[in-house]
Amino acid sequence: MATKQVRYEALVKALHSDLYRYAFWLTHDRQVSEDLVQETFLRAWRALDSLKDEKAAKSWLITILRRENARRFERKRFEMSEYEEATIQDVKSTNAEQEIENQWLRDKIAKMPEEYREPLVLQVIGGFSGEEIATMLSLNKNTVMTRLFRARNQLKDALEDEPMTRGIQNG
Amino acid sequence: MDDLQFRREIYADPKSKSPDIQAAKNTDPAKLKFAQEVDELDDKISNALNIPVPEDLCQTLILRQSLASHQQQKRKKYIRVALAASITLAIGLTVNQLQFSHAYDSVGDYAIAHVNHEAKYFSNDAEANVPLGALNKKMASFNGSFTDSMGDLLMAEFCRFDGIKSLHMVFRGKNSPVNVFVVPQSKHLSYKTVFDNHQYNGIVSSTNESHIIVVGDKAEPLEQWQLKLQNQLRWSA
Repeated sequence: MATKQVRYEALVKALHSDLYRYAFWLTHDRQVSEDLVQETFLRAWRALDSLKDEKAAKSWLITILRRENARRFERKRFEMSEYEEATIQDVKSTNAEQEIENQWLRDKIAKMPEEYREPLVLQVIGGFSGEEIATMLSLNKNTVMTRLFRARNQLKDALEDEPMTRGIQNG
Repeated sequence: MDDLQFRREIYADPKSKSPDIQAAKNTDPAKLKFAQEVDELDDKISNALNIPVPEDLCQTLILRQSLASHQQQKRKKYIRVALAASITLAIGLTVNQLQFSHAYDSVGDYAIAHVNHEAKYFSNDAEANVPLGALNKKMASFNGSFTDSMGDLLMAEFCRFDGIKSLHMVFRGKNSPVNVFVVPQSKHLSYKTVFDNHQYNGIVSSTNESHIIVVGDKAEPLEQWQLKLQNQLRWSA
């Protein structure tokens, strides 16, 4: 029991941030993300004995979270695309310039098609390889790599095309 | 590696450690520059994706879990107690059922079975050691008393007459002991006034509250016993 508790707490400490961020980019809602992460960790606690390989913990948790998120949609259909800019606002702003850019980029990422965003989040936040992402999303690796390419390509184009309007939009 | 392929791969995975990518970066400064640009882009993306996490989330998660598992343990304890209680109840009911269930539906059958069962404990030659006073003390439970001794009383004890608390008396008979039962009226047994089997005869008389059952062997004049009982038994209620 004690060792299970220790394992659990270690897992929470190491992975709750990544999981929360992943949930946020999936749902665009901080409160829903928190709820999802809590539900995910509770399920993880119950099934902790089935986690044999600690290295697989992150993808295991993400799988649980995705399932929980899907369940949320079964329960209550709410519009995923309806994303409110207000919810994404970052209250902490250390470096104003940087924050403006961050904010602008977040906006772009949030408006990106789900199928591009999810592999990107998994790669950048999760640190997963193309193969791992392919397994998690039940896609083949080439599809994943193409989507990652398109995701970055879109962001790059956006950054290059809109440097002028950026300040106006967010200022 | 051609330019397009290189760009595709860098875009797909800026941190790629593939030897082809490394070699291309080393040989072509333009490719290296491109890779660095995408790397910068990726830092920005990473900054943007790494939204702030609520500071108390970690504590909340640990707290939620300990509350949940506490609840679970309480539930488990409750289930255990409930289970123990159910088992106890089931055992109790079973024992009760076995002990007090009515295996016979006629008083004659039961009386003969009872006599058969205990026959080996009673001998007609045994010492008659139950005085009238002791018998009447027992009879008081059935609101009755004997005015005089009925004969040699070998034994008088309470017993369960098919689940009903009764008085069982054993008197010395002609050849073998005579059994007299005083059984309170009860609904579930049917009473025939006479019954028998190959070995015993039986005879039943009834008062308001009780049946008096006499069982003896074929040679025993049961009617005389019954008459004697009627003359000497007094009922108080």
